[in-house]
Amino acid sequence: MPAFHQIGHDSENLLFEAELARFGGAILSPLNYTPEEVKAQVVRLKDRLGFVTVLDPHLYRPQSDRLCLPSWSYYPKDVDTADLGSGTWWAGLVDAVAASAVDVGPTAVCSPAIVPKVFSEDFYLDLVNNGNRLEAALRGTQVSPMLTVVVNLPELSALDRVMSIASIVSRCRTQDCLLVMVSTAEPRRELADPEELKGVMRLIATLEGGGQHVTVGFSSSDMILWKAAGATNCATGKFFNLRRFTLSRFDEPGGGGGQLEYWAEESLLAFLRQSDLLRIQARELLSDASKANPYKDPILSGIPDKKRWLALGWRQFMYWFAETEYRLSTGAVSAEELIRTADDNWAKVEAAAPPLFMEERQNDGSWVRQWRRALAEFPYFR
Amino acid sequence: MPNYALEPVARAICARAGYDFGGGIAEGSFKETYLATRPDGVTLAVKVLKAGCSPERTDREIDAMKRCSHPNIGSFLELSAIEHASVTYGYLVEAFLAGGTLEDRLRSGLLDDADTLALGDALIGAVVHIAAQGLVHRDFKPANVMFPAPEAPAVVVDFGIVRDLQKTSITKSYLGMGPGTPFFASPEQLNNEKALIDWRTDQFAVGVTLSVARFGFHPYEEPGENVAQVIARVAGRKGPAARFREACAKAKLSVIERMIAAWPAERVRTPEALLSMWQQQREKK
Repeated sequence: MPAFHQIGHDSENLLFEAELARFGGAILSPLNYTPEEVKAQVVRLKDRLGFVTVLDPHLYRPQSDRLCLPSWSYYPKDVDTADLGSGTWWAGLVDAVAASAVDVGPTAVCSPAIVPKVFSEDFYLDLVNNGNRLEAALRGTQVSPMLTVVVNLPELSALDRVMSIASIVSRCRTQDCLLVMVSTAEPRRELADPEELKGVMRLIATLEGGGQHVTVGFSSSDMILWKAAGATNCATGKFFNLRRFTLSRFDEPGGGGGQLEYWAEESLLAFLRQSDLLRIQARELLSDASKANPYKDPILSGIPDKKRWLALGWRQFMYWFAETEYRLSTGAVSAEELIRTADDNWAKVEAAAPPLFMEERQNDGSWVRQWRRALAEFPYFR
Repeated sequence: MPNYALEPVARAICARAGYDFGGGIAEGSFKETYLATRPDGVTLAVKVLKAGCSPERTDREIDAMKRCSHPNIGSFLELSAIEHASVTYGYLVEAFLAGGTLEDRLRSGLLDDADTLALGDALIGAVVHIAAQGLVHRDFKPANVMFPAPEAPAVVVDFGIVRDLQKTSITKSYLGMGPGTPFFASPEQLNNEKALIDWRTDQFAVGVTLSVARFGFHPYEEPGENVAQVIARVAGRKGPAARFREACAKAKLSVIERMIAAWPAERVRTPEALLSMWQQQREKK
């Protein structure tokens, strides 16, 4: 039910910020932390009642920037030369991941998965095999298995493809799965193809309808749609205000990404640069959620200290994410309401006098209309 | 009319074993079945495998039957081979199920509530067991459901096209349709979507069998449609007919509606859940 914090580069401190306590789980990162560091995080987080910790082995592109991965015993030494199509190789890897997880002691561990060149049915069958093997390896331990499901977003615009994937994935014995959407979205762009969005929503709804609990990884404000489709959890990290899970992310220089300061604004379901924020504020278009955000005053009083805003901006987004996820889960607000309000507000922005132009040309709210469409049409996408 | 071309072989088997030969009773793509009686009076079914008919399939059928041990699944007493006219024929000897098939029984009328629930108990029990062995029967239908005696629980027979999920598929990917009996087959069988075949394929066929037995029509069958039209609707995943939904609601058999969903992902996900849902439904009735 709660939002999960997807730990990234240098974001351990956010795990323990009092204002971000609404997060009910964390996806731990072996990419950015050593086994000892992750073990220490798990120990500290165990003090929180009901807090869920998930270890994601992070082998999506094993030959990419390795960072801390080589310090993990499951990380294969032959990763550059191994036949990644070999079932035996994957079986050994799954067993090693299970052993590492038992040693570190999280609530759950994800099955290892790569981002393939082609998202074939064989690929999904292999994912299920890995999930089932992980489930078998963890029987009798305190660690739960979680199936990693990697999907290619553009393919999900076809209903048959969505249902084929769901039919294979739902065969896995694991009760939980981590959904990772590979997209070609550019940084700072929203997912805005309504057919793709409907496809993701149908996939989530179908898996949840069959009794599998879906945690959507690497989500941003699109979390609203995933919750509307019935996702059990949505995960985000401090960089996911700006970027999605794309192959190019593996080619970015180390040390994290998204080094631009933004404000997450619920009234427009948009990320705003400094000047836009000030003008939106002046037009009294800031949402109640933004006004209640504990990071609002420190940001507004700190402008134009960009470095400070950058750090606070991540927090402002994450606070909004966790609170909104909570409001959606408890029925305090609906996805339809949030998106309709944003659509109406974008109409006001367009009609504003004097005109109100956003600093970035493509920050025009066009995705909100597509989200509204996806939400309305999703029940009929079957 | 069946063509019992292997009758001389069956007679030779009976002569060798000391059985009384009783004549042919069924003919399928891969085998012919003959009646025989043991000296102690026990009636047997002798199934002679056609020579040259996919030895891989025959091996998998026998292997599957060896792995299954369940009161609602047929078992064989003997597996052997005989040479006749310079050709070697494999054969199976099974206990003859004297109560006939469900297909025979439905000729005299549809099942009532109690008999439908009992049939569901038996077929779902068999499916759960078959699934636990990593197998998919792929040919659940009234003709493959037999009764050892008129009042005895149903028994599932004929593993002739069984799929072993641990082994490489024998079915060629280029074929438009996978093996199965089209009228009872799932969309994934009809479309030869091999990656989607799993125990839920059997769940679909059991759902169709229960619908035919209780309501007298296929779940996807609109009034007035012929068999080919029904099969096309299933292959095209058009979804069940309104009258089927109404019949399920009226008979309080909503689980069947879930069992015949067009996509495996929309059916009941695990065998244990199906068993539990069926039992809960029984308690509510």
